Amino acid sequence: MNSTHPETDDDLLMAMRSGDEQAFVTLYRKRQAALYRFAQHMSGSTSVAEDVTQEVFLALIRDGCGYDPERGTLSGYLFGIARKLVLRHLERGRSDVALETEGEESGWPQLAVIDDPMADLTWREGIDALRRAVHALPRRYREVVVLCDLEEVDYADAALVLNCPIGTVRSRLHRARALLLEKLNQERSPRPAMGTLRPVRCLS
Amino acid sequence: MNCQEFREFAFDAPETVAHLQDCPSCAAWRQRQDSLIASLRAMAAESQHVGAPANLEAKLVAAFRTHGGTVAPVRAPRMWAPVATWFAAAAAVVAVAFVLSNQHVPQPVPHRNPPAIVESAMIEGDDSPFNSADFIPLPNAQQLAPNEDVNLVRVEVPRSTMIVLGYDVSAERASEPVEAEVVLGPDGLARAVRFLE
Repeated sequence: MNSTHPETDDDLLMAMRSGDEQAFVTLYRKRQAALYRFAQHMSGSTSVAEDVTQEVFLALIRDGCGYDPERGTLSGYLFGIARKLVLRHLERGRSDVALETEGEESGWPQLAVIDDPMADLTWREGIDALRRAVHALPRRYREVVVLCDLEEVDYADAALVLNCPIGTVRSRLHRARALLLEKLNQERSPRPAMGTLRPVRCLS
Repeated sequence: MNCQEFREFAFDAPETVAHLQDCPSCAAWRQRQDSLIASLRAMAAESQHVGAPANLEAKLVAAFRTHGGTVAPVRAPRMWAPVATWFAAAAAVVAVAFVLSNQHVPQPVPHRNPPAIVESAMIEGDDSPFNSADFIPLPNAQQLAPNEDVNLVRVEVPRSTMIVLGYDVSAERASEPVEAEVVLGPDGLARAVRFLE
């Protein structure tokens, strides 16, 4: 980063709004990767992620004044735009996963998992299994895991991005982690699906 | 604190240490949570290098330059009157100033039928609206045909413009503004004027 430019996002935004191209480039380089990854995790598509990242920064170029520092950080504001764009893509493509019908507060998470599902997997297997499990989460749980656990957005910013109270962020994260453990446990010891069972005749 | 409270609301709060010591089930649950979070962080670390393609930066910089670097949005001010009215008013001022600046002798005021929009401003019962309602046809302006569509706009002109139409204006007040209503013909040119003072 160019040392002649201020470091904070707000300073960069101010410099950018006064026409400083280098400030815009610095801000872009600082924030684009997290936004791209968020969009990719949420959509499962690199092209959507690229489109979303581009649209976020175009929105910042066009509507720089929409950001209010008193309501949250610039990073949270950008994630909020990215989320809306991703949801628009998902609604357009109907590419969200099934489990949405589950109630958000659908009870106490299953506690039958005794062992650590990650324990007897290799590191690579574990990461791949976890990635699949994250992608299979219902959207409202996936986004909170991606924000808080993968991109390490704090709860206050996540609440701003998701437009919900902090308590809801915590409860969704709690539920999301429980679902992840369930999915990982199922993957480790999968039960045969009905379609894979062969019919047999009872001879007794 | 029971197990449900611990797991739902306080699993990452420091005051839960005592509960963990007393509850092996929650301690195991907490261990799984920690393992999961560590795995998620490992997954995040593995994809730290992932980002938007390099050509996107060039595209966005080009977009930034297109905006001239001044990226603060320009919001349209709320106007109480339509833009066309302002445009017509500006045109009227120019037209009145142009016509009056080329005339030094007031012309006789012809009697004609008033345009509909002017009619409403007339004094009731008066048959010569341009005289009675103080609408003065502008010198050399095209005459209005009966029932011709016209527009009436209110403008501010220098008081000195009243002199050429026969009004007495003191030299000290010549530069003061005065409100006037101007009748615009369908071609947008000023036809008549009346001063509101």
